[in-house]
Amino acid sequence: MGLAAATADLEWGECIVPAVPVPPALRAEVRKAVGAVPGWLARLAPSPWLVRALCEIIKHPFAHAPREVCELVALVVSQENSCRYCYGVQRAVFKIFGYRDAYLDALERDAQVSELTPAARAALDFARRLTRANPRPSGADFEALVRAGFSRPAAAEIVFAAAAYAVTNRVGTLLVLPPEPLVSFVASPVFRFVRPLLAWRMRPRPRAPEPAPRPDDGPCAAVVAALDGSPAAGVLRRAIDGAWASGVLPRRTKTLMLAVIARALGCAHGEREARRFLAAEGLAPGQLDEILANLGSPQLDAREARLVPFARETVRYQPAAIQRRMRELAHGLTAEEIVEAVGVAALANAVCRMSVVIDAC
Amino acid sequence: MLIAAAALAAVVVALVLWLRRTRRTVAALEERLAAAGRGLESLQQAFARFAPAEVVEDIIAQGRSTRPEKKEVTVLFADLKGFTSLAEHLDPDVLVRILNGYFERMSRAITDHRGHVAKFIGDGILALFGALEANPWQTNDAAHAALAMRAALADYNAALGGEGLPALAMGVGIHRGTVVAGVIGSSELVEYGVIGSAVNLASRVQELTRAHAVDILVTAAVRDALDPRFALRALPSLEVKGLPAAVATFAVDGFEGPALAASR
Repeated sequence: MGLAAATADLEWGECIVPAVPVPPALRAEVRKAVGAVPGWLARLAPSPWLVRALCEIIKHPFAHAPREVCELVALVVSQENSCRYCYGVQRAVFKIFGYRDAYLDALERDAQVSELTPAARAALDFARRLTRANPRPSGADFEALVRAGFSRPAAAEIVFAAAAYAVTNRVGTLLVLPPEPLVSFVASPVFRFVRPLLAWRMRPRPRAPEPAPRPDDGPCAAVVAALDGSPAAGVLRRAIDGAWASGVLPRRTKTLMLAVIARALGCAHGEREARRFLAAEGLAPGQLDEILANLGSPQLDAREARLVPFARETVRYQPAAIQRRMRELAHGLTAEEIVEAVGVAALANAVCRMSVVIDAC
Repeated sequence: MLIAAAALAAVVVALVLWLRRTRRTVAALEERLAAAGRGLESLQQAFARFAPAEVVEDIIAQGRSTRPEKKEVTVLFADLKGFTSLAEHLDPDVLVRILNGYFERMSRAITDHRGHVAKFIGDGILALFGALEANPWQTNDAAHAALAMRAALADYNAALGGEGLPALAMGVGIHRGTVVAGVIGSSELVEYGVIGSAVNLASRVQELTRAHAVDILVTAAVRDALDPRFALRALPSLEVKGLPAAVATFAVDGFEGPALAASR
């Protein structure tokens, strides 16, 4: 177990946000969506849009990309991000689906030597590079994925899968979510007897192609449109709209966070979108330039002055350092604001990585 | 018939024994492969602190890196003032302990601000910002790192004073410019490094801290990219070795805003 051991043994302190009572309607909605009530619900309930986005990601909204490739992408992205929470859950899910530990270990050690098709290897390699984003892959990298044997809609879904796990990993790591009971359950003696039943219950059902939501003039509409034909388009649209509509943090603050993350990732589309919406909010281009150049400005309110530099730190991080930073940031913010800020940063990281699909258009 | 059955039984037993032995061998090989994988993973993680991940992967896969590239980086040079003469009067054990304590604190100040310590040169430090990963805020990071180094050295000097040891004085020069970055060296010794006039200028600017009697100096290229909340003081241009024109520098007096939280 190469990184298996390393990731599983990462220091993991107390969760940043407390468990709160979950509204019964939200609990029922989650149970219906994912077949169980996960432990994270009580931590993320203050941000229903984020809860719904995670449920939709868990349900694998893929109609074109091979299911196994998307599942493996989830594992390697969690490994790359050193997210102990997601990695633990992902390994547990793989065990439920009948994967052998030896196979997963080999895959983590080196996808090139494990039992994968060249196309699957290309997908995992792309997912790793998209996760690192150092530099962010380009349209040419996306085309290489297509040349490796995936249809364009399948390749777009692979990009979505890799970027979507940037959301779950950031939520898990930044908020220091406690391990799910499922992770210890798969090591128990009872597990082998109930595994087939669990696998049947948890296996994502095949999804039919779906047109992208239209008309779409919401934020980052071009990225959503590039996923046309995939259920992932609707998932992304609803997640962005949910974050946009939430009143916990002002729109200006959320858009500033997007602008900073876009700048850090060299995502021209994300920065352009942020500029458009910030102009509508009354922020002059020169003022935004100053904020983006220095991650600070007298134009920022006290909360923005903390969240703007923080947004930059969510792009590439070491888990222990970002969790330390989160604990500092948490002082003076409500649990609602913390969850919302992490959700927005996670989503912005995903969208700016995902925009590789429009670079290729 | 009996003989045939006995022979068959013997063959089956032999096959079972062979199969068991083979399984044990395969298991042992798998364990060794896993151990090798663990080692490789640790090595890869350790090397990621010294070179970009892609460069490390190239070296592991091909035994060499083919990715030298031009990059805009911010170079920070730090050196201890008067340390050579101080070294002559100190016990070697004490000297090394003082120096290691200094390097430890300075390295932390640099890495906390997304810098990368490229090498120690005697009692000097060469640090790079924006070399291992794209960083639009590399110049601000370097200046914040220099201020953190100043604060860390003040704390360290207080601790040294408590032990009756002499205080250290440091000079820091920062310059921003284009360099060639890549894996450089011979087959015996290679390192991820940068070359170019920007590196030399940062070193020369560090030397100017003595002439100007300040601890942190930056060039005009740095000033132009720096957050205006840094308090800078223009100093007279001075000639430096290897450059035809005098070099304008600016002393960094402080930062007039909330201190950026250490990020790493």
